[in-house]
Amino acid sequence: MKILWMYHNLMDLYGDKGNIHVLKMRCEKRSISCTVDTCTIGDSIDINAYDLFFLGGGADHEQSLIFEDLLKRKDNIMEAYKNRTQFLLICGGYQLFGAYYLDQSGNRIEGLNMFPYYTESSDRDHRCIGNIALEVNVDGETFKTIGFENHGGQTKNVDSPLGRVLYGHGNTFDGGYEGFVNEQVIATYMHGPLLPKNPRLADIIIKRALQKRSNEEIILEPLDDTLELKAQEVMLKRLNVL
Amino acid sequence: MSIVLKFVKATHYILSKVGRGGSLPGQLALMMDSNILSKFKMPKEVILVTGTNGKTTTSNLIAESLRQTGKKVINNHRGDNLNVGITTLLALNAKDDYTVDADIAVIEIDELTVYRQFHNLHPTALVVTNFFRDQLDRAGEMETIIRRIMEVTENFEGRLILNGDDPNVLRIAENAKKANVYLYSVGENEVSVKETDEASEGKFCPICGNPLQYQYYQYSHIGRFECPKDHYGKIRPSVFVNSIDYNKGTFTYDNNEYHSFINAIYAIYNCAATLTVMKALGFDPTLADEVFQHYQLKEGRNEVFNLKKPCVINLFKNPTGANEVMKEIVKHEGDMNICILLNDKDQDGHDVSWIWDAHFERFNIPQVKKICCSGTRAYDMALRLKYEGLEDRIIVKENPQEAIHWLNEENIDSYVLATYTALHSTRTLLRKEEKQ
Repeated sequence: MKILWMYHNLMDLYGDKGNIHVLKMRCEKRSISCTVDTCTIGDSIDINAYDLFFLGGGADHEQSLIFEDLLKRKDNIMEAYKNRTQFLLICGGYQLFGAYYLDQSGNRIEGLNMFPYYTESSDRDHRCIGNIALEVNVDGETFKTIGFENHGGQTKNVDSPLGRVLYGHGNTFDGGYEGFVNEQVIATYMHGPLLPKNPRLADIIIKRALQKRSNEEIILEPLDDTLELKAQEVMLKRLNVL
Repeated sequence: MSIVLKFVKATHYILSKVGRGGSLPGQLALMMDSNILSKFKMPKEVILVTGTNGKTTTSNLIAESLRQTGKKVINNHRGDNLNVGITTLLALNAKDDYTVDADIAVIEIDELTVYRQFHNLHPTALVVTNFFRDQLDRAGEMETIIRRIMEVTENFEGRLILNGDDPNVLRIAENAKKANVYLYSVGENEVSVKETDEASEGKFCPICGNPLQYQYYQYSHIGRFECPKDHYGKIRPSVFVNSIDYNKGTFTYDNNEYHSFINAIYAIYNCAATLTVMKALGFDPTLADEVFQHYQLKEGRNEVFNLKKPCVINLFKNPTGANEVMKEIVKHEGDMNICILLNDKDQDGHDVSWIWDAHFERFNIPQVKKICCSGTRAYDMALRLKYEGLEDRIIVKENPQEAIHWLNEENIDSYVLATYTALHSTRTLLRKEEKQ
């Protein structure tokens, strides 16, 4: 599996790098070769050569720095998308793939416009912060996931959310639904980081990414997830949604 | 005559009789009068100390050094740095007409509280140690904190005592139009490095946005930096500390030798801040050496408990602090166990994702025998360690009492890391184990 970790040195808020650790280890334990390349502003790289594109969240300043560079790569991203590259997008990464972002002063910042959702900044009283639990529905599987959300942006017009909110806010303040999903994209506000405590979601991402270069159905052998599931259970219990 | 103050003092008196300190008096005072902080007639000098790490140690070093000059100094020495703690300090030292009875108040203040209470406290000096990522869910992004502190200091006419080796802190100096700015800096030494995997803030020039260039890093993003374009970071420090000798535990400032209370780079920065305050206020900096030599770190900072084998406890609360503590621990010779207590209560921050930004791979050395994870997020901690190849050495005991008892029974040298809300309860548990 070939992973491209975008803007690793800029978009690495809230331990998002943990997601890379997880994907790598879950491949290695199954003897699936896994390489991780990084790409930052100005680097020349062919996104299409990768099975998984990962973009995490960043502080406002960092996000404003990468934005132009990302737009320049739009054609390459479209090409990779057409060729079945998978996309895992967290927080800022999620927002940047939408139509636009409306900041607090009302300025419209264009997104990659890959999908019709858009994001508006919120006032201080409507920042979505706290533990969050979802019931996700991906590739025919329904299961619970947990994470930590911390975003001011309110993402609207999402036609296929990643999951239903069991506890927390989601795409908008008290919104009821969280993230965005289609056959090739998993986009979410969930930090924590996302994947360590949600091994089932991690495996779906690995499966999907491996599928890019395989015509046979990918079956992953099960791993010992005792610690992962215990950590998840502790939080689900606390939030009363077990 | 203030009834509130009388009541608060009476409460304190009763509490101290039954052997309890704490900030209950301040809590009561704020309940009776929510504006009480704006009512005190403050001393001639009011020194606020803020920043992410090192606030408690630095403010204590400053207060003790100032006491060496013969002045009457009050300070919140235990690190109670929110409204309640500060109210307690001032109320207990105030006369009935709200006059605070001291020559100098040294007030450690939380980085979120400082901009809210800045004008109420009438500071004459502000000391800023550093800005790292810390408890982001509570604080909002670090950027917001820096901006708000820049707002309240923009027209501040007092003294700004700032860590000139932190690109985030230096921004305050750039923005302050009327203040007297005193910067401190620490020279290249044994632990300085040319490259780092620790720095996550301060990569870019806040003026032009270009990457900053570092001559050397001390730890995290603290070091000697400069923007190649507009020379942001080219400073002339008021206090430059150099010639650090970690074997002797000494350093030099202005041709005088000083002694550090602990052999660590961050301690040298705490001392540098203190020397700068002494200089800025016109006192003899060498008076501080007496304090540096004999300073005992406060409870839970490198504190040793005599279990069957020695056990050292440290606070850990953000990646930078955790990295520095781990660097110390792995210097230990011989086998050891480690116990990590990770809580996610209000004062710890509800978001524990920061553990993924800390370098726990440092514990993957043969001397580390077992690591026991405890606290409200024990399993999150265990999971983090699993990803550093420590899977076979992890033990989870959610109940801290069981964890500490296990640590003692193991009968080898040990280290404890505890987040803020776990620190004092764990110290109590350790004290109990000591007696068994």
